[in-house]
Amino acid sequence: MTSRHADEAGAVQVDRRPDASMTLLTEFYRRPLDPGYALAAERRAAGHAPPRRRLGIVGLVVLAVLLGLGTAAATAALRQPVGQVSEARRVLESQITERGDEAAELQQQALALSDEIATMQSSVLGSADEPLQSALTAGAVEAGSLAATGPGLRVVLTDAKSDHPDAEDPDNRVQDIDLQVLVNGLWEAGAEAIAINGQRLTSMTAIRSAGSAVLVDLVALSSPYTVEAIGDSVQMQTELARSSTGQLLATLRATYGIGVDMSSERRLALPGAGLTALRSASVPEDSRLPVPASDAPSGPVSSGAAGVAGSAGRAGGGGQ
Amino acid sequence: MIAVIGLVVGVVAGLLLQPTVPLELQPYLPIAVVAALDALFGGLRAMLDGIFDDRVFLTSFLSNVVVAALIVFLGDQLGVGTQLSTAVVVVLGIRIFSNAASIRRHLFKA
Repeated sequence: MTSRHADEAGAVQVDRRPDASMTLLTEFYRRPLDPGYALAAERRAAGHAPPRRRLGIVGLVVLAVLLGLGTAAATAALRQPVGQVSEARRVLESQITERGDEAAELQQQALALSDEIATMQSSVLGSADEPLQSALTAGAVEAGSLAATGPGLRVVLTDAKSDHPDAEDPDNRVQDIDLQVLVNGLWEAGAEAIAINGQRLTSMTAIRSAGSAVLVDLVALSSPYTVEAIGDSVQMQTELARSSTGQLLATLRATYGIGVDMSSERRLALPGAGLTALRSASVPEDSRLPVPASDAPSGPVSSGAAGVAGSAGRAGGGGQ
Repeated sequence: MIAVIGLVVGVVAGLLLQPTVPLELQPYLPIAVVAALDALFGGLRAMLDGIFDDRVFLTSFLSNVVVAALIVFLGDQLGVGTQLSTAVVVVLGIRIFSNAASIRRHLFKA
C-alpha cells in the first residue's frame, strides 16, 4: 500500500522518459553485462568475498570442463549433419544424372542395333523372296519392333483439373487401369499398332502405376496421355463406342472430370520399340508363311519367330 | 582464470572425442549455443573491465544455457516454440552485440 502511494507521488513529479515503453530494450542495450560481475567485484573490494574452498574450486573446474565439452559437442552436432546431408544428396544427384545418361545412351544403341538387324535381315533375304520379306515386315510392325505410319485414331486422356494440387484425389487422375482398358479396347476394335506418349506397345509391354505415375514399359509418363492407334479410325471409333471401353470413357468424363479427347488423324507415326528378346519360339502349326527349302537356314527360324511374336501381339496386347 | 582454462580443456576434449548429442536435445542446441556465446562475450567484457569472476562467469554460462533451453522447451509445449526461440535470439543477440561493441571500445579505444 505504502509503496504504491509513494509510486503515485513520484510519478506526478518525475518526468516520464520519452522511451518509457521501451525500457526492456533500453535496459538490455545499456546494461548488457551480467550485473553479477559488478556485484562480485564490489564484494571483493569490500573485503567480504566468500573464501575459496578446495571443493568449490574443483566444482568450478568440473563445471567449466563440462560446459566446454557440451558447447563443443553442440556446435559439432549442429554443423555436421548439414554437411553430410548435402554431400549425400550431391552424390545421389550425380548418380541419377549419370545413370540417366547411361540409360539414354544404351537406348540409342539398342535402336541403332535393331535398325542394323532389320537392314541386315532384308539384305540377307534380298528381293528374291518377296512374300517372306513382306510377311516379316508385317509381323515386325504388328509386334511393335518396327516403326509404323498410317492413318489412325488419337485419344488424349487428361487428369481432371484440381483446385488443390496438394490434396489431389487419385480418382481424378488417369490411372493405369484406365489406360489398360482403353488399349485393350483399341486392340479389340482393330488397331494394328498402338503407342502411348511415344512408347510403342508390344506384346511385352506392361502398363502399371508406381505411386502417382503411370509406367508404360517401365517409363514413367504423366498427363496428358496421348494414345495413338493405327488402323481404320472410323471402325475403331464405332467399335469403341459400342464396347464397354466407351462406357468407361464416358464415366471418366462425366463422373471424374477426366478429359477424353478423341480425334481421327490422317497420318500417325509410331516409333518402333526395338526387338524384344525372344525367350521361346515355336513354328505355328497353320504356318501362313511359305517356308523356302532352298533359302538360308536362318530364314524359317526368323520368320517363324516373327509370326509368333506377331500373333502374340494381338493376344498379348489384350492382356496389356 | 581457472574457469577459462577448464572451458578450453572441455572444448578441446569435445572436438577430439566428438561425443554424440542425444536426439531429444537436438532442438535446443541452436538456442543453447547462442546463450553460450552470450555468456562468453559477457565474460570477455568483464575481463577487459577488470571485474571478471570465475564463479559468476560459470554460473551465468550454465543458467543462460539452461534457461534458454527451458524457454524453448516450454514454447514447444505451448505451441509457440518458434516465436519464443525468436524472442530469446533477439534478446541474446542484442546483448552479444552491445557486449561486442564495448569489447571493441576496450581493444581499439574507438
